[in-house]
Amino acid sequence: MNRGLIIRAFRESWPTTLVLGLLLIGVEAMLGFVLPRFGAQMSQEWLQMDFARGIMQAMLGTEIADRIGPQMFQSMAWVHPVVLALAWAHAIMACTRVPAGEVDRGTIDVLLSLPVSRWEVFFSETVVWLSCGVIILMGAMAGNVLGSLALSPFQRPDLSRTLIVLLNLFCLYIAVGGVTWLVSSLSDRRGRAMTTVFLVLLTLFLLNYLAQFWPPLERIAFLSPLHYHRPLKVLGSGAWPWRDMMILITIGGAPWFAGGVIFSRRDLCTV
Amino acid sequence: MLFGFLGPNGAGKTTTIRVLLGFLQPTDGTANIFGLDCWRDSKRIKRDVGHIPGDLRLPAWMNGATALSIFGAVRGRDLMRSGRELAGKFDLDLGVKVRQMSRGMRQKLGLILALAHAPRLLVLDEPTTALDPLMQEVLHQLLREMAATGHTIFFSSHSLGEVEQLCDRVAIVRDGTLVADEALDALRERAGHDVVIRWKVESSMLGFEPPAFLKLARREANVWQGRLFGPVKPFVDFLANKPVEDLRVGPPDLESLFRRFYEHDEESR
Repeated sequence: MNRGLIIRAFRESWPTTLVLGLLLIGVEAMLGFVLPRFGAQMSQEWLQMDFARGIMQAMLGTEIADRIGPQMFQSMAWVHPVVLALAWAHAIMACTRVPAGEVDRGTIDVLLSLPVSRWEVFFSETVVWLSCGVIILMGAMAGNVLGSLALSPFQRPDLSRTLIVLLNLFCLYIAVGGVTWLVSSLSDRRGRAMTTVFLVLLTLFLLNYLAQFWPPLERIAFLSPLHYHRPLKVLGSGAWPWRDMMILITIGGAPWFAGGVIFSRRDLCTV
Repeated sequence: MLFGFLGPNGAGKTTTIRVLLGFLQPTDGTANIFGLDCWRDSKRIKRDVGHIPGDLRLPAWMNGATALSIFGAVRGRDLMRSGRELAGKFDLDLGVKVRQMSRGMRQKLGLILALAHAPRLLVLDEPTTALDPLMQEVLHQLLREMAATGHTIFFSSHSLGEVEQLCDRVAIVRDGTLVADEALDALRERAGHDVVIRWKVESSMLGFEPPAFLKLARREANVWQGRLFGPVKPFVDFLANKPVEDLRVGPPDLESLFRRFYEHDEESR
């Protein structure tokens, strides 16, 4: 790691982190307030419809028949597509900075002419990415807590269990980022790298979602990282989802390392 | 030493620099600087190297002071003082953001960042392209001073005039191959002088032939016109006691030598 590179990466990353962090605070505050508050009404009317139950089940990735209650609505705030989209957008933006972003904007020659190894560049960027990831997810947590302050104590989520959900979400964030690093390391165009990762994520999101409706897909649903992010189970039992978290870290860690190897060995210059 | 690296567009100048700086791996052979391998020991080498790329681009949000502070942090040393001195010489306001800078100003900042740590080796890829003549002279002066104090400057350019004015030694690259690498004086000697001799009598009446070091391009009436290769002394000796009416010897013509290198003239190699 290199202090100068970390400073540089932070200075370039903070606007994105700030904007997406604020959006996550706002969205989580809204979801944290709205979902549990109107949950009773929703469960009486909307969730009586099979289709609506299917959608809810697809989002939560688990059977909800015996779990309709405050926790189900609290967990919705952690699988909501907007929340996932914001967290993933941050991971994609942070992890395509180097090398795809640097080559794309033509600054790679200046970066590589500095006395740092490519692994130092990679580790420094990774530190900034993970730190910013912690910041935006802490923002999400803060938003969720803020939103739930207006609820009755019975409707409020258990803070320690929510923290476990947040860590699980962070592992999902790592998985998305790791895959993004690999794609970025193979690419010279940031836009192309971002689009590729976006399409992969969309496919995996749809796979996880549609698997609830179409049994043949259920067999391959394990391929989607979302399969390992099930906040309803955590909020219900309070148990640490160690297996899910380890799988997500592996999904992120392996391509991250492969990306580092490729980055350290490939020819790089402004094109 | 000021080392000129010449070649036409697409000859491989920038690619060579990128191999030297460890951006690209050589497809064949090895590249070494300070006795270290340019790919494996790239980090160590770059501690003592300053570089400005041909197509310089810096992050738009930076200003000169931030850039110096960050580059200093990366290099683990304070570059502010030397950076400010250089900014004074180049007449650059370090408070202006890159996005508000003209191309020339960005080039000046790039030069400041490349020079601020006083590197042992400075690799400059067409560094004067965006500079006005006044700033080009400032840069030339700085480079001469650095060369005089033991620094090496690798100066890539496609402008012969600039290299001729500045460098002690020149290498010429064409189609990725080094076709010449020698001291500028030796090149001048190889380049030859344009010569015009007007005889007092008709050429056909002279009764002697031109010596080997004089290649005639035109021989008509009482005029020989051609190129003199090698030192001038043997030529002067040859002309002694000959019926010379008028003589014109031009300066060494590097331009035509380089043109021959560039134009695949096998004879010149």
